[in-house]
Amino acid sequence: MKKIQTTACALTLLLCSAGFSLKTTAQDNGIADRPEKLSFPPLNYEPPAQARFRVTLPTGPIAYVLPDRELPLVNIAIYVKTGEYLDPAGQEGLADLTGYLLTHSGTKSKSADALEERLAFLAAHLSSAVSGSQGSVTLNLLSKDVDEGLGILREVLTAPRFQADKIELRKQQLLQDMQQRNDDSSGIEGREAGFLAYGEHFWENRQPTAASIQSITPADLAAFHQAWFYPSNLIVAVNGDFDRAEMIGKLNALFSGWPFAGKPPVAVPTNTVFAAPGVYLVNKPEVNQGRVSMLLPGVRRDNPDYFAVAVMNDILGGGFNSRIVNRVRGEEGLAYDAHSTFAGGTYYPLTFSVGFQSKSRTVGYAASLAMEEIRRIAAEPVSDQELNTSKHGFIDRFPRAFATKGQTAAIFAQDEFTGRYATHPDYWKNYRSRLAAVTGADVQRVARKYLTLDKLVILAVGNKEEMLLGQPGHPVKLQELTGGKFTELPLRDPLTMRPLPLSPAK
Amino acid sequence: MTPHQRCDKPIFLLSCLLLATIGPASAQKVPVMEKTLSNGLRLLLVERHDEPTIAGGWVAHVGSSNEKPGMTGIAHLFEHMMFKGTRTIGTSDYEKDQAILKQQEEVRDEMRSEECQMRKRLRRGEMDDLLKPEDWTPRYRELQARFKQLVEDERKFIVKNEFDRLLSGAGASGMNAFTSEDMTAYFETVPSNKLELWAWMESERIFHPVFREFYSERDVVFEERRMRTDSTPLGKFQEQFNAMFWESAPYSWPTVGWPSDIAAISKAQADEFYATFYAPPNITLILVGDFKPEAAEAMVRKYFERIPRGSKTAPDVKTLEPKQMAEKRMHAEADTNPQLQILWHTVPFGHKDSYALEILGELLSNRTGRLYKKLVLGSGVATDVGAGQNSQKWEGSFSASGEVREGHKPEEVEQGIYNCLETLKLEPVPASELQKVKNNFAAAEYRRLSANSPILMHLIENDGLGDWREINEAGPKFQAVTAAEVARVAGKYLTPENRTVAVYTRKAGTAPKTAAKE
Repeated sequence: MKKIQTTACALTLLLCSAGFSLKTTAQDNGIADRPEKLSFPPLNYEPPAQARFRVTLPTGPIAYVLPDRELPLVNIAIYVKTGEYLDPAGQEGLADLTGYLLTHSGTKSKSADALEERLAFLAAHLSSAVSGSQGSVTLNLLSKDVDEGLGILREVLTAPRFQADKIELRKQQLLQDMQQRNDDSSGIEGREAGFLAYGEHFWENRQPTAASIQSITPADLAAFHQAWFYPSNLIVAVNGDFDRAEMIGKLNALFSGWPFAGKPPVAVPTNTVFAAPGVYLVNKPEVNQGRVSMLLPGVRRDNPDYFAVAVMNDILGGGFNSRIVNRVRGEEGLAYDAHSTFAGGTYYPLTFSVGFQSKSRTVGYAASLAMEEIRRIAAEPVSDQELNTSKHGFIDRFPRAFATKGQTAAIFAQDEFTGRYATHPDYWKNYRSRLAAVTGADVQRVARKYLTLDKLVILAVGNKEEMLLGQPGHPVKLQELTGGKFTELPLRDPLTMRPLPLSPAK
Repeated sequence: MTPHQRCDKPIFLLSCLLLATIGPASAQKVPVMEKTLSNGLRLLLVERHDEPTIAGGWVAHVGSSNEKPGMTGIAHLFEHMMFKGTRTIGTSDYEKDQAILKQQEEVRDEMRSEECQMRKRLRRGEMDDLLKPEDWTPRYRELQARFKQLVEDERKFIVKNEFDRLLSGAGASGMNAFTSEDMTAYFETVPSNKLELWAWMESERIFHPVFREFYSERDVVFEERRMRTDSTPLGKFQEQFNAMFWESAPYSWPTVGWPSDIAAISKAQADEFYATFYAPPNITLILVGDFKPEAAEAMVRKYFERIPRGSKTAPDVKTLEPKQMAEKRMHAEADTNPQLQILWHTVPFGHKDSYALEILGELLSNRTGRLYKKLVLGSGVATDVGAGQNSQKWEGSFSASGEVREGHKPEEVEQGIYNCLETLKLEPVPASELQKVKNNFAAAEYRRLSANSPILMHLIENDGLGDWREINEAGPKFQAVTAAEVARVAGKYLTPENRTVAVYTRKAGTAPKTAAKE
């Protein structure tokens, strides 16, 4: 103990004397006493022009082709206009299962095991998935193997085997994952927040059940695949070690003479329903920390307010030096992770949300602090310093979006896929000037317009008794934080998703 | 919109994969320039002009394995404190700030003696929980209120998160840090014209850190512990399994710290820790990206050589793990599907057997590996399996794990794993199977070089574990591993008496409904 105290004193002395020496030597070695006094050479940066890399393949797909000779690798990503929104009622999970099995259940000429073995020997990474509103097939491999890889890709895309034993194995893995649906409070939070944000019947919230997975037949998988995996329904992004013209020729060959026609793409449904304002709680008595989502209706990314919304959210809870982080984490130590997000939806408005996790008894207090910050950013103008830090941060970080050829190819392909390139071809070119144009008045205006606390939905997952008890010294009642009513939500049977009976109050 | 997503300050637990994969002698070497500054600080430079950015970081050769009982978690808490500012950053009035910090410590000293009394009461069964406000003594509550007032007073002089603001507002991204058992690292990516800002900020916080908001940050770390360990289905069990596995090596406690210790770490301990482990000879700076090496070196020397060498030398870790004499087992009932994990004591980073053990791990892993073929596709007793060598700085371990398929028992998976291992000990691995694994090590070496930031992280990991040169030297060693060596290391390390086994079954009453059988 003595030793520690002695050292602490010595350290204090060291800091003081070092401080003086810094001041006296500041002129000597030319070190400024504040970083604001540094000046930097200009950084001239223009994002790559999308049109330069865009190729319309005669066989159907739009491709983005970005040669990059640094490493002997080739990366191919194929995006498919399909998604879980196309799952037929009663067969929830079909899109996901098709997506996984496409590359993991063999092809016409190769059994699943033979295919896996060959790819593993080549150290090639082949994977596929169908998520909410997109399917994807990706292949990353050494450039010396690119012809063999494209051959495999062609077979996977045109003639997947959907081998019965692989279907059964994947179903069993999905069922076992399903059984863990209530084990982790973060899983419960994510699921229930989705229900509250978009409505239980919105396609995104239609959950696979044991029955829906078991109903899927090999014929269903094949039909789903043939409906959507056809050339003109695909966008391709390729980067890596190849010659541009040669690669275009290879891609064109990859998609020629397709054996099936497919169906015309279907628009992503947008019929979301936001929950009634109020506090919603799921009781998970065995955890000592409550997980909280605070939700408000959001915007689409093509909303004219979007850049102002992004800056407003960055100041409120987006960055590490944002208000919610400073208040809930920095000042009060009530959470490790506290943040807000206000992402713009591609097809339909997403939500504004504040998320944090705090020990059960301070959940209500932490939520009340976040609400204070929401009120404040709508009520008072942000400071110039906050505004400039946020805007400069966005603008100066901008080149990182295109840091690698792989990232660049993916951004271009995504903009093609979602239609943004067609409607806003200069989106990235104008990105920085649109951010620079955001004013303090804009920030306050969008905060008032969108952060309407009368609509607030709060979801808390954790120990009910403790969360409702609150913490001495902070007279805040979680259940009374919003104008709306308090609702305890039931857990759901993990295999049927039917509500389970609420546990009786103690 | 480019997302500015900043996760937080996580504790990373080193994955064996990070170490597992370097390619043949012919593969691309990372051209690293190494310099030593006048104060003992080391500098690694990798020039790369693909993008107009510089990934900058530094690794302090200290982690939770340098801690002692009673102050576990301090290395990680310290990492959090390094974001709180310096003499000039984070405060509007350094002198007043210091005066309040001193007063705060006086109150905290009194609180500590009260906490000592409360611990006595706890041990006598007179209270249940040191953290429950209703159980606190009146004196402690009064001190708590006084301390709270001093925190309010200090807030007048705090410039909130200024360290982060100055960097983020200048275009820094990915700013973060991690603490593991073996190292603590700090890193971000800056636009290439802001190298001087990076040098200013990072040298300033190594030189003059001020541990403001120390006690509220302790609470933040406690919330991190609740999030990662206490409130996850397996967190607390894995923590105890780890504590059971390591007998004497300083890996038996969690990096985040035991709950009692997090709540008891004092600022004086943090000061001592800084003087011992953050002295320049214990730190390596790393820059990867768009700069001219001569100019970058000069910039680094200008800013970092002002930091005095310090009088302390970080002590070596002396305790060696004793040879395990008998199998150890844990059976846990948890909110989870039945599964198991087996750990064996093996060898640390850079040990000559570590390369064959890494290869062995890969032979067992993935969908074309031995375990998947035998237990998932073959006998069908498991739905998922995994294996791998984890070479840490002072010691190492080998892990195998599996999730039990419904209708089967953990014992079947466990026995299946042992059967696979016995085969590997007795029969040499066919040449093509060994080559498949080596091909993947070689390709992974290229994949890791795609951007500045992964190269930085790879250098941090290797330097933190003992030697950055491994990023170029391990590849040929992996390629040289023979089938006989694989069999030898399997036989030497993966023995019954050397293993510790955790079996998890679903806690009664939490079993899901059986709608699956409908």
